[in-house]
Amino acid sequence: MREKTSRRLSALLFLIIVGSFSWPAPVSAQFHPKDTEWPSYAADLAGTRYRPLDQINATNFSDLEIAWRIKTDNFGDRPEYKLEGTPLMVNGVLYATAGSRRAVIALDPATGELLWTHGEHEGKRGGAAPRQLSGRGLAYWSDGREERIFYVTPGFRLICLDAKTGVRIPSFGENGLVDLKLNDDQDIFPDLETGEIGIQSAPVVAKDTVIIGAAFREGMTPKSMRNNKGYVRGFDVRTGKRLWIFHTIPKKGEFGYDTWEKGSAEYTGNTGVWTQITVDEQLGLVYLPVESPTSDFYGGHRPGNNLFGESLVCVDLKTGERKWHFQLVHHALWDMDISSAPILADITVDGKPVKAVAQPTKQGFLYVFDRVTGKPVWPIPERPVEVGNVPGEWYSHTQPIPTKPPAYSRNGVLIDDLIDFTPALRERAKEIASKYHLGPVFTPPTASKREGPLGTLTMGTASGGTNWPGGSYDPETHNVYVYACNSCVEPIGLVPAPKEVSDIAYIAGTAGREVEILHGPGENAGADSPKPPKKAAGGSFSRLDVDGLPLVKPPYGTITAINLDKGEFVWQIAHGETPDVVRNSAILKGMNIPRTGQTTYNIGTLVTKTLVIAGEGNITTTAGHPRGAMLRAYDKMTGKEVGAVYMPAPQTGSPMTYMVNGKQYIVVAVSGGPYSGEYIAYTLPSTGE
Amino acid sequence: MTTVKLTYPSTILVVAAIATSLCLLRAQAPATDSRSVWDGVYTEEQAKRGESVYRKECAACHGDMLIGGESAPPLTGGAFLANWNGLSVGDLFDRIRKTMPQSAPGRLTRQQDSDILAFMLSVNKFPAGKTELYRQSEMLKEIRFEAAKPAPKK
Repeated sequence: MREKTSRRLSALLFLIIVGSFSWPAPVSAQFHPKDTEWPSYAADLAGTRYRPLDQINATNFSDLEIAWRIKTDNFGDRPEYKLEGTPLMVNGVLYATAGSRRAVIALDPATGELLWTHGEHEGKRGGAAPRQLSGRGLAYWSDGREERIFYVTPGFRLICLDAKTGVRIPSFGENGLVDLKLNDDQDIFPDLETGEIGIQSAPVVAKDTVIIGAAFREGMTPKSMRNNKGYVRGFDVRTGKRLWIFHTIPKKGEFGYDTWEKGSAEYTGNTGVWTQITVDEQLGLVYLPVESPTSDFYGGHRPGNNLFGESLVCVDLKTGERKWHFQLVHHALWDMDISSAPILADITVDGKPVKAVAQPTKQGFLYVFDRVTGKPVWPIPERPVEVGNVPGEWYSHTQPIPTKPPAYSRNGVLIDDLIDFTPALRERAKEIASKYHLGPVFTPPTASKREGPLGTLTMGTASGGTNWPGGSYDPETHNVYVYACNSCVEPIGLVPAPKEVSDIAYIAGTAGREVEILHGPGENAGADSPKPPKKAAGGSFSRLDVDGLPLVKPPYGTITAINLDKGEFVWQIAHGETPDVVRNSAILKGMNIPRTGQTTYNIGTLVTKTLVIAGEGNITTTAGHPRGAMLRAYDKMTGKEVGAVYMPAPQTGSPMTYMVNGKQYIVVAVSGGPYSGEYIAYTLPSTGE
Repeated sequence: MTTVKLTYPSTILVVAAIATSLCLLRAQAPATDSRSVWDGVYTEEQAKRGESVYRKECAACHGDMLIGGESAPPLTGGAFLANWNGLSVGDLFDRIRKTMPQSAPGRLTRQQDSDILAFMLSVNKFPAGKTELYRQSEMLKEIRFEAAKPAPKK
């Protein structure tokens, strides 16, 4: 059974600190955050990651120094190396999730002093969770008097804490807890302890509703076409009572059920909302970015377009009823999901004001809609796409492709994309690529054959493009700033799944290579688990690099500024130092190679009054700094780099900012490789220092 | 071992300085030369065993080509090499021992972890040798992880 370990580490000090902040007496039932705070995961419910602060600016960014730091090693029974959280800062306290326990910590935002911590010991249920570690964050709610913190444990329990003490609020759910595996319009199978469903994103609180989606294991090689479904629910912020549910896979009789032929809606699962949800409180509308249905790369068991898979769905905040939807990808075959927060933007197009929603994607398209009606701001016509020939697969013959703005990152692989530093390198790359099927966006996966193709070579698929960190939006310039991996090449080949491995006809794999039962994170792998089939390993290991150099040409990773009034790029830059492997390459010695950016997909941006700020995702060792990564600042009008500050490890959680006691801080989560998770707060040196 | 880059090999003085320092290095070298991943620190047989364990325990997240997945980093390529460059094989071994597989860290034996590591080294094109990789972290810490192949010793 679980056991609660909530502790007040320094109650007296905490009271002094909290007492010293002058939060105004409640004047209304609604909480009105200041723009010096960061009250929700993406700064606001519109998903902007924007704060109009300017103490840290182009003239002093490089002077930043570490104000405080906190390692997350001890918030769990082992260190974590993938710290993805973005903290909140509200009413003079910084809150974050941390450590392999996914503990909640409250810190003094000026000093980093620990005020309280809360963790749930979930035993086997936590160990079996599909999405472990510290997750991306939490949510804050206040009615001006009471303050609450919400988060979801790895074992899929919604926890409500008193923001002042870190203790569960007894009147919420059952003693401060709602079991999210219950009351979900489905029986989670096989049982509550091991049943696959969870979430790693931060909850969203809008008005008095907490909204929670769902996530599952990676879906490359699922064991079955059957899985639990990822419905979205709204809960009362005071009582924990379920207010509504939205069936991301429609039930019989509901709109969209007939897009699942042969009754496949009954058994297909996943199709959750695992990333951040966006809300327009004024309109009372919620924007749900829905992921792929069960089996990322093979859909033969779910013929049809599969609504609401890979759709942007707008529902009513009070009832969860669907207002409109737009399916970005029919019959998902590429694991494009919709992986990040929709961004709300009030823009002016052809002289007319539009309340818009802009959706960055793995496939590098920014889809822009009128967020009231769901009508595309610029046409998104259906275009013919290649139809594949994997046995049993069902193909959509068209896909919607935006006419504006243009794709901001590569979303296919063509010969022209291959490395071209020298003609010899291009030839080597062509040789590697010749083993694969190539094509533009929406080129379908192939069955993998020893004689070729081994699979389809893709970009802008499982990794993206833009993955979970999403983009930022600047309400002053009407620009979206969005990072994208421009070199995350992924081969997608399919092999018949042995019956002992999966009941799905085809799973991801490479011809001639051993297929075994694949254990995902959180999967119990005890003595009684099924033994893998004995098969002779065959085929040699093929690599997708050319003498260690990336298969495709730079830029490897970019930040693009896209103006939403015009649907056009304002600027695009390579983000990140040129990788060591390129800078130190003997083959490239003497060549003048401009900064390339880096091959990584988990970079989030922050936009302030004047800057776009983002850290690097790879370690480099250069003449200018020891092994580490840089947090970089760009002029938001031009994209010109105006400063950089050293981090000991790559950025793995998106940066946030706030002001406290007259000073601006930037906090970023770093980790990876040998470096365990750490939140680092940067600020400017005090006057006179 | 120290590597000296002759970026500006234009003066006799530089050459002389290098010659002197090489003599000094030789004088200061420990009794047993420390090794790096370029010195054949695992066997092909071990890497084969490691591949089998990798497919079963690691591939679901890190991918069957080690290029990573949505929730797991790549174990080959420039970013991976840069991540561990300058550290030791023991550091990488410890990371695996402490945190992998994610569902049950420490479930695999040291031998299995060592075999997986041998497989990773082979995929990253570090040469195989005649002796297997150690199974103890402290001993593995004596093997330097160097991304770039050092210049041949003279």
